[in-house]
Amino acid sequence: MTSAVSERPTGTRVRRRRRMSGQSRLELRWGIGMALPAILGFLIFTIGPMLASFFFSLTDWTIGASPRFIGFDNYRMLWNDELFWKSLSVTTYYTLGAVPLVLVLGFVLALLLNQKVRGLSYWRTIYYLPTLVPSIASAVLWIWIFNPDFGLLNSLLRQAGLPTSQWIYSETAVVPSLIIMSSWGFGNAMVIFLAGLQGVPRQLYEAVSIDGGGAWQRFRHVTLPMMTPTIFYNLVTGVIGTFQVFNQAYVMTQGGPNNASLFYIYYLYRTAFTESQMGYASALAWVLFMIIMVVTFMLFRNARRWVYYEMAGAR
Amino acid sequence: MRTRSTATSGSDRRVMSRAHSRVSWSRRDLLRFGGLVTAAGAVAPLAACGAGSGSGGDVELQFMYWGSSFEQKAVNEMLRQFEDEHEGVSVQPLYTPQEYETKVNTLVASNRAPDVAYMGATMGYRLAEQGKLVNVFQYFDKYPQLANRLPGTYFWYGKDKTFGTQTANEIMLLWYNKAVLDEAGVEYPPAKADEAWSWDDLVEAAYKLTYDQEGRRPDEPGFDPKRVRQFGVSVSVQYTPSWECLLRSNGIDLVDEAGTKCLLDTPEAIEVLQNLQDLMYEHRVAPTPVQLGNNAPTTAVQLQTKRIAMVLDGQWILLDMSQSDVDFGIGVLPSYGEPKTTSLGGASVIFTSSKHPDEALELYLFHNDPQHVDLYKNGLWMPLELKYYTDPEAMKSWLTEGVHPPEYKTAVVDYALNNATTAIGQRLKNMDNISEVLTPALQRVEGGKEKVADIMRSVVPKIDELLQGWHPTQEL
Repeated sequence: MTSAVSERPTGTRVRRRRRMSGQSRLELRWGIGMALPAILGFLIFTIGPMLASFFFSLTDWTIGASPRFIGFDNYRMLWNDELFWKSLSVTTYYTLGAVPLVLVLGFVLALLLNQKVRGLSYWRTIYYLPTLVPSIASAVLWIWIFNPDFGLLNSLLRQAGLPTSQWIYSETAVVPSLIIMSSWGFGNAMVIFLAGLQGVPRQLYEAVSIDGGGAWQRFRHVTLPMMTPTIFYNLVTGVIGTFQVFNQAYVMTQGGPNNASLFYIYYLYRTAFTESQMGYASALAWVLFMIIMVVTFMLFRNARRWVYYEMAGAR
Repeated sequence: MRTRSTATSGSDRRVMSRAHSRVSWSRRDLLRFGGLVTAAGAVAPLAACGAGSGSGGDVELQFMYWGSSFEQKAVNEMLRQFEDEHEGVSVQPLYTPQEYETKVNTLVASNRAPDVAYMGATMGYRLAEQGKLVNVFQYFDKYPQLANRLPGTYFWYGKDKTFGTQTANEIMLLWYNKAVLDEAGVEYPPAKADEAWSWDDLVEAAYKLTYDQEGRRPDEPGFDPKRVRQFGVSVSVQYTPSWECLLRSNGIDLVDEAGTKCLLDTPEAIEVLQNLQDLMYEHRVAPTPVQLGNNAPTTAVQLQTKRIAMVLDGQWILLDMSQSDVDFGIGVLPSYGEPKTTSLGGASVIFTSSKHPDEALELYLFHNDPQHVDLYKNGLWMPLELKYYTDPEAMKSWLTEGVHPPEYKTAVVDYALNNATTAIGQRLKNMDNISEVLTPALQRVEGGKEKVADIMRSVVPKIDELLQGWHPTQEL
């Protein structure tokens, strides 16, 4: 909306602006009016609780008792909390594995599905389907896939004569197993990549062809640079999402064995609702918020080096 | 949890639909917006509690409980009967089979606690100390049925202060499938405490009851531990009540008498726990957690399907066992010298916030009275009052032919009366934090990669730091 107004030719500025401002005021009013439910929802159900949780993070609050103000003691306690560090490292491990895997898988499949093949929409639907499976259902499904005795994975490995694994039942294999499972959810990234691929201008490909470039040059010098904003978007949301991984630990492993899959949010949840330590759990939440913010900020800083925006204004 | 996990995909979908309809925001704006929304999702759900209010009407009570769907039916029936006998009182059942503590926590935080409820021990102590639970000691004189219960079933939190007793009583037992034992020529585990098997007897029997897909036993050449068809026995390591009694049988306990020193690194404790680990990895007669699998059918079901021949499990599985067509038997646990079992049970409590304390007390007295509830007769519960264990007439009122097998009198009733010690989780302070250290250690024992002695050496100092002594007890 705003860009449509500002990009108007500036010839008869005064007269036009007066007339447009009436319309734009109208648009503004209606626009905000229509967006109001969302804005209010965000303020009441997100910002409000966030502020409340920040207050609680400064208190010693066990559910049932009254909150007692203790300043930053909760945050100081975190420093010496073995499980805090454990959960942070487990979660980071997961993020470092799952995000690249999903990005690569999603990108490769998007490239494939961007070809002119028969039954294109059929394939696109098939590849997107796993994303539609509710996460609890897919977690239960994967428990069986990972079953060391009669699960799908070990049966396949056995038939191929390869060594089997204990998957989610082993301290060392549990996080890699869950990373493998995360690849199941590449559908969202894939669809966004597909949308991005379709926005790459045809004339650039034509230009490469005229210069005698082949498929690799087209990919390397057109597709990839033009896709960097989309890759970047998927990277950022992927990192934010995986830092909050929860369902797998909750449904499949309960954080075990020996805390090897104690993901941060699962630890937070346990602290808050099983151990009733709301104050401490709020501090955990805020620390995670800060971590995600810092990581996201660093990603944005780093993005200047490799993300290409066609229109400079898009930055 | 749902909100958190869908936060990303929600914003993704927003972007998707925009990309399709070719309305373009600046990509940067989108990213910022998406990022903010997702990141905010991490913090928001925690603080979403506010004050609530009760509803008006005549007298309306809420009864909160957990349990199987069968228990749900029986409890709702009990509540309906209570309403029939108490005019003007209605009771709303709050059946919460999963995430019970989470639900209680949120209700308490929003001042909407139920009137009467089942309660886990740790949370019960906390809420009682916060003054949220009624001290039922004041009613002991008026209602002797409250004062005559088995001493180990009370939850004391100070002098003359108790938030009540267990809802019902339970003990740990050795269950077996008669057909499977007959087939292998194994004698049934004894049903009398003073005839209890030794640990070696159990292992010996288990060897005869374990075989792989080709029918080979663990002590026969070529036995394939990866393809076991039937296991001899199953004992949960992570579930403390199933082995704490074995420690006591071996003359030791988890902690010392003062409740300030952990004893799991003593030779006696290590012997018991190492024996449990050896069942899985040395003798290979018990399923490892990997072989059992997360979210696997309960051991009771695996006993029925002949996956496992003998199972160390609670009295409560009698409800399921008696409904199945399996010819099962009950034995006492193996003994290291002095026969011992664990008694346990969740608490029942009254919340002080109840607007109708008198009716709530009525309901409290009613809800687990063997005269009103058929959960005793059908095997789920054992009574709390002493007379049901000693007086033949009272015993007849809950022991049912077709549910309680002939050996039940000696293997369960007498065993509970003479050989049971209350689970440590119901008596020790700071149990939440102790479990947080103990459970991962027990998972290491189950994992089988390290010796028990090494695991305990590293864990006991950490538990020592957390020990704060026992909750009080009181003679009646």
